[in-house]
Amino acid sequence: MANRRCLSNFTRHCQSLLSSNASVHNLRTLPHLRTIAAFEPLSVVPTSQSHDIRDLESIFVIQPGFLRHFSSGRRNSEGSDDEDDEDHDGGEVEEDEDEEEEMGESSDGDGQDRNARVSNCAVSRSYSLEEKEAEAAAIGYKVIGPLDPLERPFKHREEAFAVVQIGSHQFKVSNGDNIYTERLKFCEVNDKLILNRVLMLGSRTQTIIGRPTLPEAIVHAVVEEHALDAKVIIFKKKRRKNYRRTKGHRQELTRLRITDIEGIQKPEKVKVAKPEKVKVGKLEKEILEKPEKEAVAA
Amino acid sequence: MNKKKIFKLAKGFRGRAKNCIRIARERVEKALQYSYRDRRNKKRDMRSLWIERINAGTRIHGVNYGNFMHGLMEENIQLNRKVLSEISMHEPYSFKALVDISRNAFPGNKKVELPPKKEGLAILV
Repeated sequence: MANRRCLSNFTRHCQSLLSSNASVHNLRTLPHLRTIAAFEPLSVVPTSQSHDIRDLESIFVIQPGFLRHFSSGRRNSEGSDDEDDEDHDGGEVEEDEDEEEEMGESSDGDGQDRNARVSNCAVSRSYSLEEKEAEAAAIGYKVIGPLDPLERPFKHREEAFAVVQIGSHQFKVSNGDNIYTERLKFCEVNDKLILNRVLMLGSRTQTIIGRPTLPEAIVHAVVEEHALDAKVIIFKKKRRKNYRRTKGHRQELTRLRITDIEGIQKPEKVKVAKPEKVKVGKLEKEILEKPEKEAVAA
Repeated sequence: MNKKKIFKLAKGFRGRAKNCIRIARERVEKALQYSYRDRRNKKRDMRSLWIERINAGTRIHGVNYGNFMHGLMEENIQLNRKVLSEISMHEPYSFKALVDISRNAFPGNKKVELPPKKEGLAILV
């Protein structure tokens, strides 16, 4: 009984301390509670109780939300007399200990969940690690190159096309094209991008088809604009049922300008006498030659 | 203010539906409902249009659409129908290369290969 009363007083002191300063920082002051336990009249503080105190401490070093919940149940008992509290708490302490342990375990899990949720929010916000940015860029099949200082990367239109995949959309692009894609997260305006998921290349003399992608083909692009699409009005109505909903939506887009296609032979505008044959060594690519279009005089 | 918005959306409507608010409101609501439905239908329609175009392009070379797509799937070529239709329209030689690949991969049409004309590409030139 004496042990239980000591524990009840101890727990009440804990709550009074912790409910008054409900912050994690003050949980570090828990070692002070041992001195408080020493000042109590009834407490002799045997070794077993110190062990229990340490257990309670370990349970108390959790988020203050748990403690607030716990102490709100206890505050009712603090208002009444001490004797009644002791008798009342005498039977309750064991249950409370069990409750503490149970709630401690559950709140450990909750605390971890809360921590996990907080950390997930932090990760989705900032992507502080460059590796994360690289991973996300790989999902979108783009790699961010350096910015564009005073360069003029735009060339004249060449007679070569590439089929490039960004996310789940495929585009047949050529030099100097504009394409609108879904908003690409990790690039600013005037960034150079490398689109490395290329499915097919074609030019006047060669066609290269990948299965499914071409490993050595690269398409360079520059981010021109991060824009919003035109507004669409989403309107839902059920007739004769008094139900009508209106909502507006603007999709976020990115406009890219394609500057260069690498990995294919682009013949000069001067006519070449013979079409060139290229042997295929790998199983992944298939290169076919095309006859010169003599009838088509450019 | 709502009337102004309704009349702005009702531009080009027929008869009194562009001038009188009671009629215009009904017609505009119907138009917005149609646009909601048709944003979903457009995706279906575009895909069937692409398939029609690919079909037309491959039949020039003696292959029909089903066998062509089957051959591409066998070869693990992941070009989608939008891009294939664009290639069939604008890049005839590349498209012929694709058809040849498909024909070799899935020999369903080898007998029907040569149409009666001397070369299929003569039509294009």
